[in-house]
Amino acid sequence: MLAVLSVEARKLNRSLAALLAVAAPSLIAVFGFFMLLRGDKPQPWEMWMGSAAGVWAFFMLPMSVTALTALVAHMEHGPKSWDHLRALPLPRWKIYAAKAICVLGVVAAMSVAVLAFTWLAIQAASAIKPEVAPSGPLELMRWVKVMAMMFGAALLLIAVQLWTALRYASFVPGLVVGIGGTFFAVVATSAKQGVFLPWQMPVNMLASEPWRVTTALELGGGVGLLALIALVLHLSRREVL
Amino acid sequence: MAAAIETHALTRRFKRHLAVDAVSMTVPDKAVYGFLGRNGAGKTTTLKMLLGLIAPTSGQAMVAGVDVAKDRLGAARRVGALLEAHGFYGNLSGRENLDLTRTLIGLPRTEIDRVLEVVEMTANADRRVSDYSLGMRQRLGLARAMLGAPPVLILDEPTNGLDPDGIADMRRFLRALPERTGATVLLSSHLLGEIEQTATHVGILSEGRLVLEGELDRLKAELAPEITFQTDDLPRAAALAKARGFDLLLTEDGAVARLKPGEDARTASAALTRALVEADLAVFSIGPRARSLEGIYREVSTPAAQPQPEYA
Repeated sequence: MLAVLSVEARKLNRSLAALLAVAAPSLIAVFGFFMLLRGDKPQPWEMWMGSAAGVWAFFMLPMSVTALTALVAHMEHGPKSWDHLRALPLPRWKIYAAKAICVLGVVAAMSVAVLAFTWLAIQAASAIKPEVAPSGPLELMRWVKVMAMMFGAALLLIAVQLWTALRYASFVPGLVVGIGGTFFAVVATSAKQGVFLPWQMPVNMLASEPWRVTTALELGGGVGLLALIALVLHLSRREVL
Repeated sequence: MAAAIETHALTRRFKRHLAVDAVSMTVPDKAVYGFLGRNGAGKTTTLKMLLGLIAPTSGQAMVAGVDVAKDRLGAARRVGALLEAHGFYGNLSGRENLDLTRTLIGLPRTEIDRVLEVVEMTANADRRVSDYSLGMRQRLGLARAMLGAPPVLILDEPTNGLDPDGIADMRRFLRALPERTGATVLLSSHLLGEIEQTATHVGILSEGRLVLEGELDRLKAELAPEITFQTDDLPRAAALAKARGFDLLLTEDGAVARLKPGEDARTASAALTRALVEADLAVFSIGPRARSLEGIYREVSTPAAQPQPEYA
């Protein structure tokens, strides 16, 4: 399995995945940087980190997963390398499992980067305009935990996006699902039913009602994990004509 | 001679379209087996079943004695393939592409240099694949198929899209493959000339059915030669030839008289010439010729109707 993972990592390393992994968290940090500069009184760290986590979970995470899964799948769809890969003397499930693990790894790295880049951006903006430097303590571990929960709740949306992207040679179905899912997540933010929508599950980690947090995390994480396993089994068994 | 590839009543149906119909083929060890058929005849479907990429509807495919359906990994370890879609990553170099496959199948790094040398690509190995010509990609594909020195190589239309120089290079290379690698080669093509100049054995697929198979030289030898002739009055000449027991075929520029198996071509040719001259016909040309693969192919395959798609 390590060999298959290393091959996937090498392919990803030479693609635009690294750019995507840096760009999405950077945009959130840049937004925070300018928001702090245009403020006129100090805000607590809580507000800056909460805002970054919110933007990430609400919009940037679903869109990044859509782009990343399309990119990972198109690495094989583009040059039509499925036949070559699937004819090799190695269990096919390993190929799909390695792709899923790589996507999860990149999303986890992006989640960490959101916190790290936001902290750096706020520090930089504070250095330029010390009078609006954040007040109060920075509860870093709390935000690490929130980001980890968002990652867990995002498993189902990652599974749906990766499944669609790998299943269809065209990138259009994946984009339609991703854009559609994010659209409904945005327009139906306050709807109770939103907690059952995979694209809205991560942002529910910031909900004030505990049932929403629990439901979204259990559904997103639990069903997501099962969906990832089902994805690997289904794709490794189906014929690619 | 042991068989490197064997199929028994191999069949594949796509909904209502029968793509491969009870194909029983035998590729002898160390042969270059030309798998011939027009586009849509079922060649690629058969090759995909041999590689375990698609499952047969019924029948059995064996590679180096291993049943593909029962032990795909075991069969895959004994076969290297060059498929129509190369599946190279254009942003990586030829060497890096080979290294990805080498890592996946757990071979030592020295394998890359070995296969690059066999296909004479060492000098270009560090260039990006996106900068390669089609001929170079084909050779890189062959190099990748040879990683791990599998005893069987399956090559799907290896000269497709190549220019005349590239085709000549590839033919020379394919002829030398069994000697250079010790592998059995199953080579699919819809080009008669390519197979005739490259293969030792041939299998002809027509509308999903294997209509002829055997050693090419033996097939050609077993079939009686023909006498082609041109005269000033073809209908009279034809009637005369038929009266003397020849099986006759009229073509645009003359007639072709087929001999009976075992009949001596020179004697028959002399007798026919004498008869035509005695009948006061002006004979412009006459002479025996050996049967070509094209002639064999035309005889055994269904006349080209509507080309069937490979997958319906």
